[in-house]
Amino acid sequence: MNAIIPLALDTLSSAALIFFAAVGLTLVFNVLRVLNVAHGSFYSIGAYVGASLCLFIVSRQLNPYLSFVALLFSAVLVAVILGPLIESTLIRWTYGKSEAVQILITFGLFLILEDVQRIVFGVQSLYEDAPMRLMGSTAIGGIVYLNYQIALIAMAVLVVIGLRLLIKHTRYGRLITAVVFDREMAQSIGIDTNRIFILAFSLGVFLAALGGALAVPTSGVAPGLGADTMVLAFAVAAIGGLGQIEGAALAALIVALARVLAIYFAPSLDAVAPYAAMLIVLLARPYGLFGSITARRI
Amino acid sequence: MKLRTALSALALIGCLGEAMPAVAQTKPDSLGLGIFTFTSGPAAAYGMPGKNAADLMIEQINAAGGIGGVKIVPTYVDEAQGAQGVIAEYRRLSGEANNQVMIAALSSANCLALAPLAEQLQMPTVGWNCDTHQLLLDGKSKYVFRPNGNTVPEFVAYAVYLLARKPDVKTVAIINPDYAFGHDAATIFKAALKALRPDIQVVAELFPKMGSPNYQTEISRLTTARPDVVFSNLWGADLENFVRQAQPRGLFSSSQVVLALGETVLQRVPLPEGVIVGVLGDGWWMSPDAMANAQTKTFVGAYKAKYGEYPVFPSIKMANTLLYVKAAYEAAMKKNGGKWPSRAELVDAMRGSKVPTLTGTTVTRADNDGMVDQIVGVTVKSPNQSFPVIGEMVRYKGDALMPKEGQDPIGWISTLTPAFAASLPKPGSYK
Amino acid sequence: MIRTLIFALGVLALVVAPTVAPWLEFVLTIAIAKGFAALGVAILLRAGLISIGHAMFFAISAYGVAFFAGSGISDFGILLVLSVVVAGLAGAVVGAFLVRYRAIFFAMLNLAVSMVFYALFAKLYGITGGTDGMPVPVPHVFGLVLSEPAFKNVLFYGSVALMVLVGFLVHRYLDSPLGHALSAVHANEVRLEYLGVPVWAVLLVAYVLSAMLAGIGGAISAFAIGRVVPDFAFWTASGHLVLVAVFGGIGGVPGAFIGALFLELLHTKAAAYTDAWNLIVGATLIAVIMFLPKGLYGLFSRSGVSAQ
Repeated sequence: MNAIIPLALDTLSSAALIFFAAVGLTLVFNVLRVLNVAHGSFYSIGAYVGASLCLFIVSRQLNPYLSFVALLFSAVLVAVILGPLIESTLIRWTYGKSEAVQILITFGLFLILEDVQRIVFGVQSLYEDAPMRLMGSTAIGGIVYLNYQIALIAMAVLVVIGLRLLIKHTRYGRLITAVVFDREMAQSIGIDTNRIFILAFSLGVFLAALGGALAVPTSGVAPGLGADTMVLAFAVAAIGGLGQIEGAALAALIVALARVLAIYFAPSLDAVAPYAAMLIVLLARPYGLFGSITARRI
Repeated sequence: MKLRTALSALALIGCLGEAMPAVAQTKPDSLGLGIFTFTSGPAAAYGMPGKNAADLMIEQINAAGGIGGVKIVPTYVDEAQGAQGVIAEYRRLSGEANNQVMIAALSSANCLALAPLAEQLQMPTVGWNCDTHQLLLDGKSKYVFRPNGNTVPEFVAYAVYLLARKPDVKTVAIINPDYAFGHDAATIFKAALKALRPDIQVVAELFPKMGSPNYQTEISRLTTARPDVVFSNLWGADLENFVRQAQPRGLFSSSQVVLALGETVLQRVPLPEGVIVGVLGDGWWMSPDAMANAQTKTFVGAYKAKYGEYPVFPSIKMANTLLYVKAAYEAAMKKNGGKWPSRAELVDAMRGSKVPTLTGTTVTRADNDGMVDQIVGVTVKSPNQSFPVIGEMVRYKGDALMPKEGQDPIGWISTLTPAFAASLPKPGSYK
Repeated sequence: MIRTLIFALGVLALVVAPTVAPWLEFVLTIAIAKGFAALGVAILLRAGLISIGHAMFFAISAYGVAFFAGSGISDFGILLVLSVVVAGLAGAVVGAFLVRYRAIFFAMLNLAVSMVFYALFAKLYGITGGTDGMPVPVPHVFGLVLSEPAFKNVLFYGSVALMVLVGFLVHRYLDSPLGHALSAVHANEVRLEYLGVPVWAVLLVAYVLSAMLAGIGGAISAFAIGRVVPDFAFWTASGHLVLVAVFGGIGGVPGAFIGALFLELLHTKAAAYTDAWNLIVGATLIAVIMFLPKGLYGLFSRSGVSAQ
């Protein structure tokens, strides 16, 4: 069937974007045990900053290849500024308190960030596709694909591998594992858990902002992106199992496949597909594909 | 808890201190217009030109003395807040006696939601962008008007033009936004094609959610189906995104693309030549009729100077709507001897009216439906502009493509014949 | 006694308000509707369960009204009862599955299911009107055909009466063994099971009740606005319901309505001056949680209790 190639490529490139949106959420939950309802906002802030920087570069007629750097840089910028700030003020206050508190505090943060984005970046849609145009296109299986889409797939794979390497083979990764395993024990042997938490949270913010920024050349950014991304990230994190990075990658593939199949064969169900997939997975495995029951407290 | 009760009581008392507005009977100090459009979000790419045109046109009307000597004071409502907010705002504005006419709305969803309210509150409501044929279907509207045309002639015009220009079309794909306007257009376009060329096959129909930023999968789906024609009535930032994402992937070279609202993006995204576009009506600022109209040229010049781009057809629609309201007031005052008209007198003046606009004439039937001519053409490069313009145009007469009053629109479309299409003006005949 | 007097005064102020400022009637009707839904959320909060998906029952009931009205049923009372029953049934089906979960998973799964409903409402254009929604015509009241303004009056006063009546019934429920069992679940669920109380059944009853309360709110909203749209079920709408429940305080039934009224009135006033409504609400929410822990004592004391 000659639709296999487009189906596969579409699934992979959608999955890449969805993975970026969700991996930070699941990572933050893994380390901090906090479900951040404002996570989608970091995605959209990354997109806004990325779009603004790219537009600036293009309008000043600087070297358009700088726009690639700009996208990466905007994610770093967002993470470095917002990560430590929010973690040390709001998130840290919720440790040890009930989930209701976490959810409400981060929902309040989400509301605040929605208006902050409107005030800082305005209410119009932004779009700058220079990176996409610079990379050109390739015909695969008779359909023309953007090289940018393929590059995104590569980036997502890099992130999965990179995170695994980070956690297993670097010092910080081992510190994080220790803190995740037993917070009190880690503190008592002298690990600065506060620093680890800031690091982990900022990493989560970075991944979300990177996702948003990388999506700009093909999708642009408009108000409401944060809220839409949030629930998608939730769905993926839930399917994969909260806190499981590889789970998030697999879940992103599942959600993307569901959506792509819907568009090709049942277009009127394309928006339902991700949530239907989530429901089906959770009915079979209530804590997600790789999740476990330890998150439930008695 | 007691504190909260007290606080809410205080808030209540505070809200009660609103003065009761008096009912106006003589010439008011100002004429309040509630103007509904999108000023934020993806739809603002279409909605802001409307607002800009309203600002400019009201400025020009007020500078010339206003309507019957009364200055216009607009209140803008952002439709992006959703149906609940829009309805609440409509009620609130209708409650103030200063507001006499509502110019609403942009989104077909809001048009359909506000129409029953307009009848209940007896508030004259002129739909500046309410083309959806589902509006005014029962023919019983008293207070809702739409001078800028109806989706039936708009999309039948595209079918006729397409077949006249490319008679050997065999397969068609459709990608429209997922709401009334998108679904209506698909129904009408398909029905017209079926009536005029029954052997045409629709190979794909996609309805992405409005505001979706990413069309990559849809574009893959469309190109897999290899249609001769891709029809779309996407608009606003959605259309801009779609064009930007589809063009590098070759959609425009592998299929004949029809962008029903394409004129809105001519100045913003580089469309290739040969794309069939139109203005859902006759509101193109560069049409021969427009260029021959002194008032239009002044308006266009002032718009470009103030906003940095030429007025796209949403701007023209808004400007024409304001001229329509002005004409209705003037006609009503002429009829009742110069007194300020009541709402009933105003709507009577609107019904059956024939009003010259910036780009043509709008005729209002007894069922409140408005008829305008339809301009369709293709994109061509222009030596005078940095962006593509519309060439090989045709101008279909307003009543030629319109079903009769009370007639089921889709039923009427199915009675069309190829002979009828052949009797219409040909592409390129409008110069 | 003083408390009852204050409540009576509050209800009186509510009843009198629209005669002085007619445009307030719509705002107050919507506030009462949201108060019902927030009350539903508050009941579950008492058991330590936070649902960020209750807007789905609000929406199901609202769509129920639109569907039944569209298929010929035109009596106000019947439409109200039918749609609330539908919401309750949905609550029973969904709740049977969901009340097995706790904490984060309960919250997330509620959100997930509500988004499935949202997507269905938004996508099935032929059945639900898609993102355009469905109209809700003015119904008959006791066989009388009313004009729109007259019906809106009936709706408002009916809602106030319903608020008092249902509020009283819910208060009795919370004071009953079933209601007290909810707080017991929150405090120590295992102990409760050992005492022989079927926790799953207790929670399911609470869930269905909360779904029906949200359903009452949804039906009132549908009649008041005259149109139902999928946005009724969006997750941020559920978030706002939780917000209202928190503002109102866990103290009891009036809290939810007071919170809703306060928020709606404040919103209407603030909208004239500023666009940054979300910011104000978000900041206030955080401030209330962080600096008024006493007001939310029942909700957050659990972490202290379970530390044993």
